[in-house]
Amino acid sequence: MTMTRDPATVPAPDGVLGRVLRGPDSRAASVAVPVGAVLAALVVGGVLMAVEGVAPLSAYGEVVLGVFGRTRGLIDTAVMATPLILLGLGVAVAYRARVFTIGAEGQYIAGALAGTAWATVGPPLPGLLLLVSGLAVAVLTGAAWSGVAAWMLARFGASVVITSLLLNYVAAAALAWAVRVGIRDPGSFTPQSRPLGAAALPDIPGTGVHLGFLVALLAVPALAAVLRRTRFGFRVEVLGAHPEVLAATEARPARTRLAVLALAGAFAGLAGFVEVAGVTERMTPAFATGYGFTAIIVALLGRLRPVGVLVAALLLAGLTVGFDEAERVFIIPSTTVGVIQALIVVFFVAGDALSRRPGRRRR
Amino acid sequence: MIAAALHGIRRSFGSAPALDGVDLELRAGEVHALLGENGAGKTTLMRILAGLDRPDEGTVEVAGQPIGEFSPRALRERGVAMVQQHFTLVPTLTAGENLALARPPGRLRPGARQAKRRVAELAERYGLPVRADVPVERLSVGEEQRLEILRALDADARLLILDEPTAVLVDSEAEALLRTCRALADDGRAVVIITHRLAEVFAGCDRVTVLRRGAVVCAGEPVADHDRASLATLMVGTAPTASSGRQRVPGAQVRLRLDGAARGRLQPLDLAVHAGEVLGVAGVDGNGQAELEELLAGIAAPERGAVTVDGEPVPVAAPRERVAGGIAYVPADRYRRALAGPLTVADNLELGRGPRHRPPAARRQARAEPVLAEWDVRGGGPAVPAASLSGGNAQKLVLARELAGGPRLVVAAQPTRGLDPEAARMISERILAAAADGAAVVWFGAELDELFAVADRLVVLAGGRATEPFTPPYDRGAVGLAMAGGHAS
Amino acid sequence: MDTLFTLATLAAAVRLAIPVAVAALGELVTERAGVLNLGLEGTMLFGALAGYLATLASGTPWLGLGGGLAAGAACGAVIALLVVVIRADQIVTGLAFTLFAVSATTYLFEQSYTIGQAPPRIPSLSMGPLVAIVLVVLAGVWFVLARTTAGLVLGATGEAPEAVDALGYRVPRVRTLATVAGSALAGLAGAMLVCGPLGLFVQNVTAGRGWVALALVVFARWRPGRAVAGALLFGLCDAAQLRLQGTATEIPYEVFLALPYVVTLLALVVRARRSGTPAALAVPFVRGGT
Repeated sequence: MTMTRDPATVPAPDGVLGRVLRGPDSRAASVAVPVGAVLAALVVGGVLMAVEGVAPLSAYGEVVLGVFGRTRGLIDTAVMATPLILLGLGVAVAYRARVFTIGAEGQYIAGALAGTAWATVGPPLPGLLLLVSGLAVAVLTGAAWSGVAAWMLARFGASVVITSLLLNYVAAAALAWAVRVGIRDPGSFTPQSRPLGAAALPDIPGTGVHLGFLVALLAVPALAAVLRRTRFGFRVEVLGAHPEVLAATEARPARTRLAVLALAGAFAGLAGFVEVAGVTERMTPAFATGYGFTAIIVALLGRLRPVGVLVAALLLAGLTVGFDEAERVFIIPSTTVGVIQALIVVFFVAGDALSRRPGRRRR
Repeated sequence: MIAAALHGIRRSFGSAPALDGVDLELRAGEVHALLGENGAGKTTLMRILAGLDRPDEGTVEVAGQPIGEFSPRALRERGVAMVQQHFTLVPTLTAGENLALARPPGRLRPGARQAKRRVAELAERYGLPVRADVPVERLSVGEEQRLEILRALDADARLLILDEPTAVLVDSEAEALLRTCRALADDGRAVVIITHRLAEVFAGCDRVTVLRRGAVVCAGEPVADHDRASLATLMVGTAPTASSGRQRVPGAQVRLRLDGAARGRLQPLDLAVHAGEVLGVAGVDGNGQAELEELLAGIAAPERGAVTVDGEPVPVAAPRERVAGGIAYVPADRYRRALAGPLTVADNLELGRGPRHRPPAARRQARAEPVLAEWDVRGGGPAVPAASLSGGNAQKLVLARELAGGPRLVVAAQPTRGLDPEAARMISERILAAAADGAAVVWFGAELDELFAVADRLVVLAGGRATEPFTPPYDRGAVGLAMAGGHAS
Repeated sequence: MDTLFTLATLAAAVRLAIPVAVAALGELVTERAGVLNLGLEGTMLFGALAGYLATLASGTPWLGLGGGLAAGAACGAVIALLVVVIRADQIVTGLAFTLFAVSATTYLFEQSYTIGQAPPRIPSLSMGPLVAIVLVVLAGVWFVLARTTAGLVLGATGEAPEAVDALGYRVPRVRTLATVAGSALAGLAGAMLVCGPLGLFVQNVTAGRGWVALALVVFARWRPGRAVAGALLFGLCDAAQLRLQGTATEIPYEVFLALPYVVTLLALVVRARRSGTPAALAVPFVRGGT
């Protein structure tokens, strides 16, 4: 009596997650929904500013000028987008496979911390080697941190959502201890690590942007190539589409999940160390700024595609930088940009869910 | 007194009619057997009567009143209750809590003592013992089923439908259940037992209706007017047995060998299938076919015994090794095991095979083109999602992939189910061609005619055990009897 | 160590535990019905802001609590609309809602007072009534879940929705109601935070307590009493951590920062072991990680 199951009604592997993301129904919708969400949020933001007595169009004009009208704006945007791109790429891979991790923040901290520890209190190595080995340590630590969640899922069936979230707090505690005691700069009065010194990332020649931005830019096509052109990328797609099909034709889902989470963690660890080596130069208690959560928005807005992640990260970073500048000219509450960014997400989520509702009956 | 009457019921899923104008009359005070093969439409018909599904056409009357709204609640209020094969109890709740959920006594839920007493009262009244103090998930299946029946009786069901109730029970429990049904009928209720087992039709039913392919072939005739052979014939039909006309090559090498392989419901099985041979496996769902299918395809390891192909064990949970080892797998549920719906047709051709480094999408799709043409997969070319293909084209896609490269073993589970005749014919031909090229084929089938046409030998799985192989010319009556558990008695 | 668990520390532990306990009870109600509400933190923030503003406007913190409750219910309605009705992804929606709440509450808060002046303090409730509220909420949640038919249906909906559906109940309605009710409690929790000893709203005042509450539900295995006990444990760790920050001890205070989360991770492992998954090597490993 069993009818062939409609693929759209196959229950999701994680029942508690409810409906999970599947590929967009059409190319048009895949672009229209994020663009529409951005526009709608900008309109609402404009209304808010108008209520405040600020002319929205001139304010937005100032935002655009704040980014494109000066070198500093472009530099700031690139620097701010760098960790978002790297983190967003990792989240995108995981979510493509429908492995819902929210642990990027913890992996970012763990990676940065381990890399910094290696570079500041590890073996004395010459500059370039120190930088490269520090990056490697950060990448491996991020992957391992994320791997704990994968292991707990495979071994105990513990939800990745919860375990990855909990691990964020453990990482935050580790950060607090490390900068206070573990790898503290003994010469400093406030808790912070030693500066990276020779392991710091140089600027891209001729710009004020550190090399990490280039790394992030290169990571985009690299990840796109991995997803499209390798067996692993293929398995990510199959896992996201249907774990049982993966199990029957390609590989064990648990193994692919572990690889996916490790890769996401590696990207987060890389992002963490790049941020230290390129921007903050040392670890402080204020290092955790929630980029790991913003990265989830970046990945979603980017439709879980590498190029989309790049665009979304640049957009969110540009909005922040541009509004910073616009606030100098107009009396705009500093939180307006946050509200607009948050509205983008809310509109995106609602629009995305609505766009999937009709035409789901496929045979 | 007529408990329920169904007239001209039609229901189709997609293009395939599941019920094609069915009439049925159920009387109070009788135990009515609804008999038929898999897919004959028994469950669909009864789900409509229970309000779990709605007819496309036709009318339903319960106790003389026509039914307007088809919902479980509406029909339950009219005294119809159905115990489905998959129980609908909440596993974490106790028996008493499940009863309270179905029929709350008020705003407050009953205390543990009170709930227990209610279960005990019902259990005693109807002679259906159920432990009341543990969560349902710790009850045996027999207890769960009794609780399902108690819950229906608690709502004062006048018409009780039991779907394959004995499938999950041991013999003594099955006998007790039939006695209970008799007692309920004597109490003035109507009881319908959906079954494919002849033994219980004769053991406890008054009248029997037989469905075949969505149509009634025996309308409520007294069981006493029939014998096993006549009912088995009604179930499987009387068309002349087509012979495969294929001849097994004598002395061909043994490719697939099972040595006492057992898993779950499947009892230890010894079997040898030769190169070029098609072994048909017949039987009703739930008699071990799914387990055998999974053993042969390496989805699961045998709990005992061994499964080997050309002397090497079937790789378990290592699908790429399975493919590399020349084992083709056409699963019964293609959207669960064979095709990733959201991925493109070309990508689906690549599942389980293909290099580490994949060529660009355009080239992959170009390479898929000739394969799709050879298999006549229509529906938009290599770049469309596999989910958009029709059933026939989707199945051709699966076969195009699995039969590529000359397999040594083909595991085909209901490969033509739900397909249009043209696609079904092509798929049969291609599988037989694979056999002609030296593959051993195990063909799980639901339709006897098809199995008779393709199989060089045929075994029937019943109760997890395989019969001695049948050989052409097949005796339809004997096979039908074996499927209905006839060998046991 | 001997000075660690003084009366003051214990009082601080209770104070820190209160909002977490109420939020965890709210999330527990929602999750029992089968909805994972990651918007808990955001709902608490809205509740906190509503509690602050309502108290400011009315002059009585009790109305502030009412405002938090109402704001929480409104948040729950929005989340339920997204998650239950239009079936947006629960994780994404919850995260998005929380991110939205952080920005929106800050924005609204800044609109509420003149920049340049300090935001006004509000009259606050003492510990007594707050503890009483926790106990009332605990008793109420326990009673509804364990003793009423509504609780039976709610729990069954989270356990076996198809079975509940077959009995004629409407699963979306049950889930919507549970989300609204649970969110109302989360809003109340936020209001209790600002209308308590704090007496003030600040940006991101909840500081992750919603996420803690979420983890506590797992830790408590969806039992109300254990959720409150877990909240106390969290409060104790938090208080110990705050106390140790100023003093030099052998135990780094960060251990107490991490402890509630590590314990919850361990609880996940132990729980899975009980349900029969092979797990012999697990506990030593995680313990080693502490």
